[in-house]
Formats: sequence, structure tokens, C-alpha cells
Amino acid sequence: MAGIGFELRKLLNKNSLFGLLQAYGYAGIISSGPWVLSILGIMAVGILSVHLKTQSDIVLSFLISITYLMAFSIIFGGWVQLMLTRFISDLFYAKKQNEIIPNLLGALIVTTFSSLAVALLCWSLFLDQSLYYRLLMLSNLVLLSNIWILVVMLSGLRAYKKVLGAFVIGYGLTIGFSLLFRRYGLEGLLGGFLLGQSIMMYLMLGLIVHEYSASSLVRFDFLDRSKVFYSLAAISIIYNLGVWVDKFVFWFNPVTSESILGPLRSSIIYDPPIFLSYLSIIPGMAVFLLRMEADFVDKYEEFYHAIRNGGSLSTIRRLKKLMIDTIRSSFFEIFKVQALTVTILIFAADDILRLFSISTNYRMLFAIDVAAVGVQVVLLGVFNVFFYLDKRLIILNLTIFFLLSNFTLTIISQRLGPIFYGYGFALSILITTILGFIILNQKLARLEFETFMLQR
Amino acid sequence: MGIKTVKPGQADIGLILEGTYPYVRGGVSSWIHQLIQGLPELTFAINFIGDKAESYSTLHYELPENVIDLKNIYLISKNKQIKPKSRIGNEDAFIQVREMYKEFRRNNSSNNSQALGNVLQQIHKFKNLDINDFLYSEQSWAFITEQYEKGTEDSSFLDYFWTVRAMHQPIFSLIDALDNVVDAKVFHTISTGYAGLFGVMLHHLYDKKLILTEHGIYTKERKIDLSQADWINEAEKIFGDTLNSDFSYLRQLWIRFFESLGRTIYEVANPIISISEGNKRRQIIDGAKVDKISVIANGINLDKLKPQRIKRPEQIPLVIGFIGRVVPIKDVRTFIRAMSNVCSALPEVQAWIIGGEDEDPDYALECRDMIASLHLTDHIIYKGFCNVVEILPQLGCMVLSSISEGVPLVILEAFACGIPVVSTDVGACRELIEGGSEEDKALGAAGAVVSIADPEQLAIEMIKLLSDSNYWKQLSSIAEKRADNYFGEQALFTSYRKVYQKALEK
Repeated sequence: MAGIGFELRKLLNKNSLFGLLQAYGYAGIISSGPWVLSILGIMAVGILSVHLKTQSDIVLSFLISITYLMAFSIIFGGWVQLMLTRFISDLFYAKKQNEIIPNLLGALIVTTFSSLAVALLCWSLFLDQSLYYRLLMLSNLVLLSNIWILVVMLSGLRAYKKVLGAFVIGYGLTIGFSLLFRRYGLEGLLGGFLLGQSIMMYLMLGLIVHEYSASSLVRFDFLDRSKVFYSLAAISIIYNLGVWVDKFVFWFNPVTSESILGPLRSSIIYDPPIFLSYLSIIPGMAVFLLRMEADFVDKYEEFYHAIRNGGSLSTIRRLKKLMIDTIRSSFFEIFKVQALTVTILIFAADDILRLFSISTNYRMLFAIDVAAVGVQVVLLGVFNVFFYLDKRLIILNLTIFFLLSNFTLTIISQRLGPIFYGYGFALSILITTILGFIILNQKLARLEFETFMLQR
Repeated sequence: MGIKTVKPGQADIGLILEGTYPYVRGGVSSWIHQLIQGLPELTFAINFIGDKAESYSTLHYELPENVIDLKNIYLISKNKQIKPKSRIGNEDAFIQVREMYKEFRRNNSSNNSQALGNVLQQIHKFKNLDINDFLYSEQSWAFITEQYEKGTEDSSFLDYFWTVRAMHQPIFSLIDALDNVVDAKVFHTISTGYAGLFGVMLHHLYDKKLILTEHGIYTKERKIDLSQADWINEAEKIFGDTLNSDFSYLRQLWIRFFESLGRTIYEVANPIISISEGNKRRQIIDGAKVDKISVIANGINLDKLKPQRIKRPEQIPLVIGFIGRVVPIKDVRTFIRAMSNVCSALPEVQAWIIGGEDEDPDYALECRDMIASLHLTDHIIYKGFCNVVEILPQLGCMVLSSISEGVPLVILEAFACGIPVVSTDVGACRELIEGGSEEDKALGAAGAVVSIADPEQLAIEMIKLLSDSNYWKQLSSIAEKRADNYFGEQALFTSYRKVYQKALEK
């Protein structure tokens, strides 16, 4: 998220309520925008299609197809994402901004080929479907994978109004084209989606390329073992697998799922509220980004500056305490805001479900999902602190724990019966987060020991 | 270059040499070479200690037949490829470490060696402490931060931390080297510092006798080293005086460290051999027991130098010799300034700078600029490295303007050729020029001694010497007599033969 802290602080420094709102708004869009907008987009296509009397099985097939595209592009296409983010931060630090674009293009090429490989591996599973369907799915997977890469870059842009504009235009066109082509059935909806998303991708790419000058066309430095951390790729894949594994468990358990389209299955009993609940992360993510990137990073930099520039031990320890205080208050604020959001949403559950044409029978599952997703914001905060402290191994272990616990607990929750559905996911996130806090606490206590002593 | 193994097995004397013979040329190295050759009936083994292998690749001396083994120990080890992993550290070991430093901090402590011995037991016998404990353990961290807080409140912790590491890491390299030390019946270290510490380790762990000879003053040389250390100076230049206290604190830390080591080595070593009365006095101040110290002066091969006396021309040559490398410690600038005065009084005079300029190119350039700006280019001639024996008879006097010296060999050589010397009052220079013992002093002065950084006085003495031939002849004959009576190397060999025999007997 290079450069974003600076922008946020600038907005905060305006010292007005409007500036504060702007900062939170911006942080909310940057942190949860793409993910939330894509959920909203899919839902909008679905809802509108239903209202416009498109055949319901086609709409269902479309929604399932997009859901799988999202899952696979995030899990298998997103592995470059964290590596590239870290690499670009390092480029900023080394003042080599003109290598950003070449490496971004390199990353897009690598992502294109890796997601293409995943798509081709799945090709034979869809032989029952039309060639158009297969080609459209393949194109959409490659496209979405590339969009996740570009989204990373957007956070560094100063022209955030244009960024917001690109999203609005992109999703507007996606919905528009899908509806326009819906009379061509499933392929029409997918084609409209592809067209709208492609335009959005080029808008994003245009904004980014406009921002930086480039030294050459394409570079692959971000894959250079001496410059990047492959553990970040592993963290990416495992974390996203962890986020999706409970859905997979429900999709592939015959008791809780049904086949919708070829190999694509869905769980009518589990799926509907989870995507909706992700909309609740917006306030928490906004606070998270603002507190972490603006306040915490400030204190973090002061701490390391003191170490590098001849601070005395007492100064170093005092600044560490300040940094820990900031971390504590950041989490407290995230917690406050997210708890409030969760409470409101749970009380208003029925109305919200109705608004999105989801049966109110899901209200319990919706409540659990909203709570779980709220804790997930806190977990992301914990990860973020670990990233700053350069403790990638800890994050990797936490994500592995998250993946395994989500898998196991979800299976257990299935055995226990429908009223326990969702608890596997929620409990897994909760335990992982608590574990993360315990380790974070230990690491912070030993921070100066490890900073100094564990060096060659 | 290979080592000739004449007699395999245990050597009589194990020399512990830090940064000198046989890889580095210089006064001390020549002395060691001379001593080994002068005692052919004894066998020697050399434990050479250097900072890192790259600095010491070629032998500069052909090892005499009676050197039966040579082993290199490097203080900066490079085998730390492993990823650092934190550990707790042994409490008992660090209790002993605390005790040791408490002892080191006490002035006039006489238990340094015992305290160090206890720590060495923890390291070597009980295996309670190793390099990884020092580098990565929580106990070690607690101890380092505790010591920092005792010593200072506001200096850079980062610099302190790395200074502490730089100081102590070599100790563990020495401990590693203990297991395949080149064995000998008796060990002889030619300095304090890490070499002396290695001797103390051998004493504590293998019950070896340790003899110490000090040429320079390790602590003092280190002080100059440190005051010239680039990074300290650089930082001072950049930050001005505000950070001065920080760096002088680190400098003090180093000095205290080597002083503590010095005192510990003085406790263990017997005898402690000094090369001059002045050095002996300094050793006593630094904590050496007076009854353990004996003075054995340096000697030279007079048979080689005496024939040079007849090569001296009838007339006193109006040539002043400056023999030494062009480096700040030799204070060449003061000499050049003095030459400006000498040249106005004696327009015919010439000065020869005999020594290399490559060690400190910036300083060498400064000197040349100064010569040019004082219009001395016709008077001061660079000779580079020359055979001193050949050049001495061509001189009218020899000058040393150094700010620090031990017992300069060139003074001995100059006297052996009958050349008077004007020198600054550093090291053993006054003792050499005016005489050490009462009997020696009775001969009179064979030159003049002036204070450091005083070009006027230096010039006056040079002019006096070169413009009064009777005075010159008087000094020259005193120089010859002093050399004949006191500088012969046979006395040196006899004394060391006795020292070694006594140590080997017990």
C-alpha cells in the first residue's frame, strides 16, 4: 500500500469533519472497494435479471460461474499479488519508481499465463458445456486474475477520484452489458460481464501507466529470488484457500449441495448470506486502513528511525511503547466500529435479507457470517502488523492454521447439523485471530531483542 | 608458501604473534626473526593471529629451520551462514560473566585472571556458553542492555551494540582455535591484546606457562588506531561536535576493554619483559607487578653495521635523513616545517625522506603540497624504500619526529654507524639517545631530544649539529660507544636464552 498513508494523512491534516469523512471514505473504498463492489455487481446482475424475468436457472448458472471465477482467480491468480506489493514498496523505498510499470507488466504477463494454465487444467471438466461457455469462462478467469493485480496498484495512486470513477464506470458497464446481452442466455450474461470488466481493466491500467514513468517495457525483477519473498506467494494462496475452503466443503458435500452446471456445485443452504455479509466489512476496513497506514506506520517509522540513527536504548524502548499503544488503540477502534456495525446488521437482518431477495430463514447464518467477517477484519490487522515487522513466517503459519482449522471445523459443523452451519468458519477465524494476538504480544515484547540480536 | 617441518612434535617455545611476523614487515617482525635465528638450539612454533585471511597471504620472511610449525588464527570468522535463532542462554555462565566484568571494572583488581578463568571453564569445560549464546541469547541481551545502561544514558545503542559484538566475537574465534593450537612447552606472546588473551586461555585451560614481551604499548597503539578510525572521524566530520561524546564513549569502551585484558595478562604472564626502562614504568602504572618485570633491550647485529663507519666521508654530509613511512603517526609535517628553518640557516642542506608513501596517500599528498608551498622542493628528496645500512653513512644526522614510537630500531642502527640522532621525546628515544642505566648515561648524549610537534626546537637541534663539526664528532663517537657497549644482539640472545631455560625447567 505504498504511498497511501501519505494521502490519508494529507486528508486528515485538513482538520475538518469533511476531511475526516473523506479520509474514511477513501480508506473504505481502497481497502474493501474492489471486493465489495464485485459482490454488489454480481448481486445486481442477479437481482435485475430476476426482475427482468430472465430464466431463473440461467441466472443461477451465471451467479455460480462468476462465484467460481472469483474464487479461482483470487486463489490461483492472486499469488503474485503480495509479492508484487512488497516489491513495489521496496522500489518506492529505493526511489526506483520508473521500474514499477515494467514490473507491473511483467506481473500481468506471468498472471495471464498462470491463470491460463489453471483454466486449461479445468477445460476437460466442462466438455459438456458449449465452446462459447468454455472460452468465456477462460477469458473471464484470466481477466479477473489480472484485475486483482491492478487493484493492488490503485491504492498507490493519488487520483483516487478517478480510481473511484473507473470502478463505477466498470461495474456500471458490466451490469449494463450483461443485461443487454441476457437474451443470449448464459453466454450472453458472461459475455457482457467480460466486456464490462475488460473496459474497467483498461481504465485501471490507463490510470496506473499515466502515473509513473517507465525505464523499459517489461521486467521480471519481482520474481528474482534475491529481491522478493516467495513465502508471500504461499501466504496469498493459503490465506485465500482458507477463506474459501468452508464454501468448498459445503459445495462438495452431496448432502448440503447440488450440481448447478457441470462440475460447478453450490450450496443453497450455505451460500446466500456469506457474500452479503462481506459488505459489512466496509466500516471496519476503513478504520483499519486509516489507523494502520496513517497512525501505526508513523510510530513504526519513528521506532526504526531511532534505532538506525543512534537513539539511546531508553528512547528506543519509549518509542516501542508508543508504537504498541498505537497498535492497541487501532485494534480497539476497529473493534468498536466493527462491533457496532455487526450489532446493527444483526438487528436489521430481516430487512437487509429481504432487500437482497434472500429468504429471512437465513437470519441466523447471516448473523454468524457477519460476526465472523467482522473478526476477519481484525485478523487482517494482525497480519498487517506482522508484515510491517517482517514476520512472514508467522503469517504463513497462521494462514496454514486458518486453512486447516476452517476445513476441519466446517466438516465438524456439518456433522452437528444445520443449526451449526457457519460456526466452523466463525470459530476458525476467531481462534486464528486470538492466536495471532498472543503471538503478536510475544513478538512485540521481544521486538528489540530480535531486532538487534537476531542479526549476523 | 609451505612450512618446512624439521622436527615434528612439541616445540619448546610457542610464539603468539598478532598482526606481525611472518606476514607483516616491520621493527617487531625483524626482532622476532632475529630472536629465532639467534637461538638455534630451541624449536619454535608460531600461532599467528590476524583479523582475516585475505590480509595475510604472503610470508615476508623465510622461516628459520628451527620454526617447526606455523598456524594462522583469524579473529573475524566467516562461517556464520546459519540463520540466527534465538535461545535462552545458560544462567550460570552469565553469572560468571557478570562477575568477570565487575572485576574488570574495579581499579587495581588482582582477580581478573581468576574471574576470566571461571568464564573460560564455563565456555570450554562445561560448554555452557558459546558464540551463539553470545550472539543470540536472551541472557546475553539482558547483560548487554544492563551494561549499556550502567555506562551511558544517551549514546547510540546501535553503535554500542555493534561495538560490543566486534570486541567479543574474536574471543570466540580464539576459543575455537584452542582445539588445534600448535602446541609448545612454554608460550610467549609478543603483545597484550588478543594475542595475550590467547596465552591466558592456554594458561588456564592447558596449564601452560606464559611469557610476555611488550614492544609497543598495545593499549596506546589501539588508542591511536581508534582515534584515526575512519568511521569515527567521518561521523564527527558530518555531525560536528554534537555527537562527539558518543564516539568518545565508544573509544573509551575499546580502551577500557584492552586495558582490562592488559591487566589480566599481566597477572598471568611471568616474566613480563620490557624493552626499555620507560616501558617498564608504564607497565607498572598499567598494573604489572614490578618484581615480575625485567628489561631486555633490543640489539642489532653490530658486525654488519660497524664496517659502515669507515664509509662516512671526511666532511660532515649536509644531509638529514628521515627514515620512516609517510604516515600521520610519524608527523612528517612537523619535520617539513622544521626543514624550512634549517634551509634558511644552511642553504646547502638536503633532507632525504626514506620510506614508502603508499600507506596513507592523502597524507602523503598533503606533505608534498606542503613542501611545494614552503619552496622546499629542491631541498627535500624522496628516496622511497632503501637499504638503511647503505644509506646511513651518507647522512649527517637522522631525525625522528614521531608522535609515538616503541624502541625504534633505526636509532640503534644509526648509532652503530656513528650517526647522531635528533628525536622527539616518545617511546624509548630519550633512553636510547641519553642512556638508560647510570653507567650508560655517563657516556653522554649521542644526539638531542625535543618535544613533539615543535618544529622550531627540532630545527635548532639540527642546525646546531650540522654547523659545528667538533660537536658533531663528539656525538658521533658517543653514538659508536653506546652502540658497541649496549646494542649488541648477543646480550639479547643471552637474556632470552636464560628466560626460556628457566621457564622450560620448572
